[in-house]
Amino acid sequence: MSDHHDSAASGHVDTEGSGDYLPGYYEIMERSITELLIEKKLIGADEIRRQLELHDSRNPALGARVVARAWVDPNFRARLLANGRKACEELGITSYEDTELIVLENTSKVHNLIVCTLCSCYPRAVLGLPPDWYKLKPYRARAVKEPRAILAEFGTHIPEDVEIRVSDATAQVRYLVLPRRPEGTEHLSEEQLAALVTRDSMIGVIAVDPPDLHRGG
Amino acid sequence: MQIQHNDLIDWLPNDLGGVSAGKFERLDHPLEPWEKRCHALADVLDFHKIISTEEKRRGVEALGSEDIGKLSYYQRWAVCFANLLFAKQLLTPEELALKMLEVSERFGPGASG
Repeated sequence: MSDHHDSAASGHVDTEGSGDYLPGYYEIMERSITELLIEKKLIGADEIRRQLELHDSRNPALGARVVARAWVDPNFRARLLANGRKACEELGITSYEDTELIVLENTSKVHNLIVCTLCSCYPRAVLGLPPDWYKLKPYRARAVKEPRAILAEFGTHIPEDVEIRVSDATAQVRYLVLPRRPEGTEHLSEEQLAALVTRDSMIGVIAVDPPDLHRGG
Repeated sequence: MQIQHNDLIDWLPNDLGGVSAGKFERLDHPLEPWEKRCHALADVLDFHKIISTEEKRRGVEALGSEDIGKLSYYQRWAVCFANLLFAKQLLTPEELALKMLEVSERFGPGASG
């Protein structure tokens, strides 16, 4: 069947391949919709597989490369803040959807946090798919109302004199936080800097730790 | 009894910004293969301008708070795709029902068709 993706290329252990796998009602619905759309030639037979491969190629390491480049190259940083989508394309990271990418820079005066109160819009091109907590009610409801309380639940305490800006993504406009470069990292290479940058720091819920706090860093 | 204005105009079930919500937990799970396919299907539908991301969002909203509460994230998407494809007359409920029967029979007795 064409919508299986248990190929070696995808690297997944596909439990559906085992003989006793029984899909649930909604999985059967998903499979059926896809098959009907392919039969009606509304979508191509291999498009789902190709999109799965694209998803598998997107993860926070891409965003971390963007952040590290912005830390070491002020001109790139300026271009990134002016047009996130175009600057990411310079690094070979294309937006596969028709979306704008706005990069929000954390400074000593402003801390940025991203959320999607309406659904789960997320900078997928540079971070991959969002974690569950980003899609669930408590984060979405509370991030815009009591961001400091949400940040505290991640162990992040922002000084009172630092403004917190919460940006609410939409289907067309996605945000990425450019976290602050930690102190004591002047000697690190761009690649070593990228290794410090986590997914959550680019959502804005935590800071980037200096290397001595990273295991083996 | 006087009816309060805000009893009549309520937020959409998925418009959550600022509403009271429970304790935050840092939950996550690796997506199941069918959930990944469901997400890929959403993108492919968007690329072909069959169902845009914004239409999908509204389609999930249109399920209503009861179904939204009962269904998981990707279960909502699957139902929303079906509803929108019926509304656009690209699929009929009969076609989908027959195909679901066919697909579930491939997995033998016990599959929830």
